[in-house]
Amino acid sequence: MNVHKLYPGAAGWLGAGVVFWLALATVALVDTRAQADSAGIFDPATLSTTDGRQIFEQICQGCHMQNGQGAVGAGHFPSLANNRTLASRQYTALTILMGRRNMPAFGAKHAIGFGGPPATLSEDQIAAVINYVRTHFGNRYTDSITAAEVATLDQTLH
Amino acid sequence: MPLHNKRDLMSKGSGRSISRRRLLTMIGLSAGSTAMYQAMHSLGFAAETKFTRPIQLSAAPKGASVLVLGAGIAGLVAAYELRNAGYRVQVLEYNGRAGGRNWTLRGGDQYTELGGDTQECRFDPGHYINPGPWRLPHHHLGMLSYCKRLGVALEPFVQINYNAYVHSRKAFGGKPQRLRTVKADYHGHVAELLAKATQSDSLDAGVTAEDRAKLLDSLRFWGALDRNFRYVKGAASNDRRGYERDPGGGLSARPQFSEPVGLRDLLNSGLWAALPFGEMYDFQTTMFQPVGGMGQVGQAFARELAPLICYNAKIVDIHQDEHGVRATYENTAAGSSRQTVQADWCVCTIPLSILGQIPMNVGGPMAAAIAAVPYCTSVKVGLQFKRRFWEVDEHIYGGVTYTDLPIGQISYPSSGFFSDGKGVLLGAYIWDMLNSMEFTSMTPAERVAKAVEYGSTSIRNTARSLTTGSRSLGIVHRSRWVVSAFGQRRPALSTTTICADSTAASSSRESTPPTCRPGRKAPSLRRSMRLTGCTGAPSR
Repeated sequence: MNVHKLYPGAAGWLGAGVVFWLALATVALVDTRAQADSAGIFDPATLSTTDGRQIFEQICQGCHMQNGQGAVGAGHFPSLANNRTLASRQYTALTILMGRRNMPAFGAKHAIGFGGPPATLSEDQIAAVINYVRTHFGNRYTDSITAAEVATLDQTLH
Repeated sequence: MPLHNKRDLMSKGSGRSISRRRLLTMIGLSAGSTAMYQAMHSLGFAAETKFTRPIQLSAAPKGASVLVLGAGIAGLVAAYELRNAGYRVQVLEYNGRAGGRNWTLRGGDQYTELGGDTQECRFDPGHYINPGPWRLPHHHLGMLSYCKRLGVALEPFVQINYNAYVHSRKAFGGKPQRLRTVKADYHGHVAELLAKATQSDSLDAGVTAEDRAKLLDSLRFWGALDRNFRYVKGAASNDRRGYERDPGGGLSARPQFSEPVGLRDLLNSGLWAALPFGEMYDFQTTMFQPVGGMGQVGQAFARELAPLICYNAKIVDIHQDEHGVRATYENTAAGSSRQTVQADWCVCTIPLSILGQIPMNVGGPMAAAIAAVPYCTSVKVGLQFKRRFWEVDEHIYGGVTYTDLPIGQISYPSSGFFSDGKGVLLGAYIWDMLNSMEFTSMTPAERVAKAVEYGSTSIRNTARSLTTGSRSLGIVHRSRWVVSAFGQRRPALSTTTICADSTAASSSRESTPPTCRPGRKAPSLRRSMRLTGCTGAPSR
């Protein structure tokens, strides 16, 4: 197996850990009991949930914080509460698909790993988390987005 | 950054050739001190040596002043050298300490992450964790030179430990394996296979009859094969993989030999993927660590430059014109009162994640480049234990255990060997995307609990030897001064070049024209980062 081919960024010291991890993930026989992850969805192979809340709480919350309020230090993580850009579901979808500024992309076309596999979300998952965010933290948008619409937006990207 | 980009650096609308000062300022702003040194060198302002001795800048023009933004290693090195050359230097730093990611947490320290969670480090005296970088290769000449010049004592950092574990939940029933046995068995089997191919003349190309004999000899020695070129239970293999019972003295002097793991089991385990770590250039022995923690480096610079550094200064505006550079900052320790400082030059080392949020007058392509680099999360967990059970019970002295568990790795302290009482482990070091995001999303207490839970399955005694949860730390890079852990390189252009990063980013994400020529390399950049002690990556 050529891991470096699969993930070109996997070269070097940092990639080493992920190569190791990948080798274990792909080569060994799968013991489903041992693979159950009590922490949640860390494993790309088990990232299959389409529960928008779970995706928010285990991925987005790391930066946007528990109640979507963001945070301020030398710079800031944007708040998802009272954030006018969320009025556009398409803008939100494109942000997740392509990333924005220092926020990483989660669409398969744009996501990049850090020495290993990127964190990618499917159209279903992206739609689910958008619909969650736009109806929580004080947001009350009534229009929702479908996976098909996310897929259409994704097709406009290259 | 190559100077062929000169024109690209012009502000939109200015329409006239850029001044040298302004050009350099912009280079410094975007790419940090190293690039500015190179540019100054190219323009004949400064001379940089190859690292056979410390950088010797030519004397400053009379009265020339430099403003350094950020007191991480890059900013500190720039300030130190420029001050020594006679410039009037002022450093603005967001934190209340110097060093940036060069940083050590000890008992009594507090760490407040973005979001407001505050952890108090309650390690016993003498124990610490390095949340950022933690080891120095012997070829980071610049960093090592500054340690020597500033009186930072170094000691060996143990990267490779044959008695540490490699572990997979899916291999050998989840039982951790010693690096020694996996390495010996892998080499042994490969050597045996190659010896067979050599003997049967299957290696038709490139191996002459004369070479064949030498190759067989080398394979026997390298792979610990027996006289018949087999890797089997016996004296040869056990001299590498270890014994069932070690040879000793007296009546029981004869060793009991251990049985090598079969090739198929070894391949299926995937544990071979952990073998090359110590072979990688940045991990090759000898490695070093500062005595008392990596943060000693930043602290040593801080002592040296004390009167020049203004702490708790949050930059809120940067303005440059023909007269120089002005930076406005809020003093976060004094009710956010605003002050403005001015200098002829500016060396900006602010992380792009922050810099992109600060108003400043740079051109469109430059602004796009600054905005185009995504940042990652990363997590470390420090655990204090009642006793050094990894030494007492497992005979593991320093080194790293690699695991496929979410914690990624466990590292044993490289100092204080054989001491009684407590010890602190690096209980997790996580950077892969999903996993680190998930750990970052947890509360500090949850991170520690998870690290202990996972650690207990890969090394024995973890949970029961833990002193108390409250004495352990779950550090994430929700750091208030970087906002994330570190910038990503793009795989498509993974050469170490700021130029390629911005090109890839501009063309794929923004409609602005690329600031650099595609694929143009800046080959000397990484080298000079090493030379100047700049940390190009979070942790080596």
